[in-house]
Amino acid sequence: MKGDISLSCRELERYLGEEEERVHALRGVSLEVEAGSLHAVVGPSGCGKSTLLYILGLLDTPDAGSLEISSTQIADLSDEELARRRNQLIGFIFQFHFLMEDFTAQENVMVPMRRLGRLSEEEMGERAASLLAAVDLGDKLRRQSRHLSGGEQQRVAIARALANDPQVILADEPTGNLDTNNSQRAFDLLANIVREREKALLLVTHNRSIAEACDWVHEMKDGRIIASHPRGARSSTS
Amino acid sequence: MTAPLYIALRFATHRKRALLLSLVGVVFGVGIFICTQAQTQGFAEFFIDSTIGSNGALVVRSRFQPRYEGLVVPSKNVNALPARRNYFEGVHNVSEIMRVSRQFSNVVACSPVLRGNVSARSGFETATVELFGIDPPSHLRATDLAKQIIDGKFDDFTNNTSAVILGYRLAEQLEVGCGDSIQLLSPGGEYWRFVVAAIARSGVGTIDSTRVYAQTRAAQRLLKKPYEASMIIYKLRDPYRAPALETHFENLFQHSSQSWQEREESTLQLFIMLRLSVAITVSLMILLAGFGIFNVLTMSVLSKIREIAILRSMGYRRIDISAIFLWQGALIAGVGSLLGCVLGAAMTLGISKVPIHIRGLLYTNHFLVVWDWRHYFWATLLAVVAVFIASYVPAQRAAHLQPVDTLRGSSL
Repeated sequence: MKGDISLSCRELERYLGEEEERVHALRGVSLEVEAGSLHAVVGPSGCGKSTLLYILGLLDTPDAGSLEISSTQIADLSDEELARRRNQLIGFIFQFHFLMEDFTAQENVMVPMRRLGRLSEEEMGERAASLLAAVDLGDKLRRQSRHLSGGEQQRVAIARALANDPQVILADEPTGNLDTNNSQRAFDLLANIVREREKALLLVTHNRSIAEACDWVHEMKDGRIIASHPRGARSSTS
Repeated sequence: MTAPLYIALRFATHRKRALLLSLVGVVFGVGIFICTQAQTQGFAEFFIDSTIGSNGALVVRSRFQPRYEGLVVPSKNVNALPARRNYFEGVHNVSEIMRVSRQFSNVVACSPVLRGNVSARSGFETATVELFGIDPPSHLRATDLAKQIIDGKFDDFTNNTSAVILGYRLAEQLEVGCGDSIQLLSPGGEYWRFVVAAIARSGVGTIDSTRVYAQTRAAQRLLKKPYEASMIIYKLRDPYRAPALETHFENLFQHSSQSWQEREESTLQLFIMLRLSVAITVSLMILLAGFGIFNVLTMSVLSKIREIAILRSMGYRRIDISAIFLWQGALIAGVGSLLGCVLGAAMTLGISKVPIHIRGLLYTNHFLVVWDWRHYFWATLLAVVAVFIASYVPAQRAAHLQPVDTLRGSSL
């Protein structure tokens, strides 16, 4: 790997559930994601992909192991501090886009900015407009998100993930709910933005072609990363 | 505008009908609270003003002498309360007491009154009356008698030592008017003839149906009293400080004193109970509205679980999520209280114009209301507290939702 490390974790352990239902969801997961690179995590359902993503996104806390985002060690932080860092350092993209349905495209992109509170209303509006223009939605700023197509909604979600200019973007099946064309378009858009703006992208996907288009592919099974390989090289264990 | 407030406004507009219903509950609760308090206090204050205007805010009565208990043989009944004072009828050194009491800043005026009960007769009608022997100039300064005259002239009473002023209900009972004569029966059994110079209406039923005013000299001769005053009545700048002055005067003048609060205690308690009863009933309405808000916000939290998870994933803190729902409650409380105050004022104004015919404890031809900012304050405070409590639980529930559970559930 090369470049600055934006996101890294070491020996992450996570148990889910209680007593008999207790599951060892992550078993010593370690990885590094450098700025300007795209990393895909693949694996069967229930292998721990989403659990890893939520821990890296500070929505969940590991039972053991360490986590570093943008050279900042994340350990023993309060919920408030975790929320603040999530707002500043991480952009999320979900499979079902998860937009606020009653908000317009522009208002949706402004939601993370409002929490950060660094820009005026006008500045937030302008930044949201420019981000939406970057995902080819410059003409649909004022359209309510429920009136956008699935592909458009996912592009709004991409713009929203970039709202506070985070160093790390985490995507959970970002193309899982789109048809092939929209899927490829959304991914290409995301890949371009990540490379142009030197972001670090970690995405969880079942789509093999999307995964293979990333710089690195990490294969997970039973809570472990069983193989990691760069683009074009297939792991012998995969 | 903060992020939680902005989102709260957007969420609120999404559930317009449910919020509107909650708002209506608060508006009516606050409005009715204000209106009912204005009415009950209106009747109470009318009674207080009337009784103070007729009988004074403070009365100094009989002289007393402290009893020296060291000389008293203890009663066998240890529970019996020893009489600690010997009372002497009438006020002694009236001029001196009045001179000294005028030095008190709270005293506006005072008037000596010689009081006694006699029988009155006119034609075939008779009645037991309460005779007030007064010094007209002093009494005018200490009471509202001049304002209470509804027929005749006060000057006709002042200029004629055998003239009387009658309460209007007594005049109706005796079937007399101005210029007619009535007879008052002295303790010696003689009837004295007086001319009715004026009719007065205090507004308090017990006064209007028994009161007869005569000049002091005439009353003294009729009642055959050796003293010129059986009490001194006081007009005070601040009638609500009468109890403090009462204690002070008792110690200073060695005469029993009684404030209007003590004198009218039973009636005042009735008014207080009425106000409390109405306040509790109307408060239940506001609490019911609060329960409605609780339901609306709980449903709102349930329907916004996904949005809450999204907001949390974007860095919104628990306190921000909580604030979103508390802001919705605050908006209902704020707008509801404001509109409720306007409704309360409009209802109070409207109700004050409603004609009614009350001729019992009080005399009035329309609803009596009081315009008091405290009614608006308490109604608003009650609404705010009720809505806050109603909003707090759903807000806390929203704040403690785990975003991962929602996101994981949605992505499967």
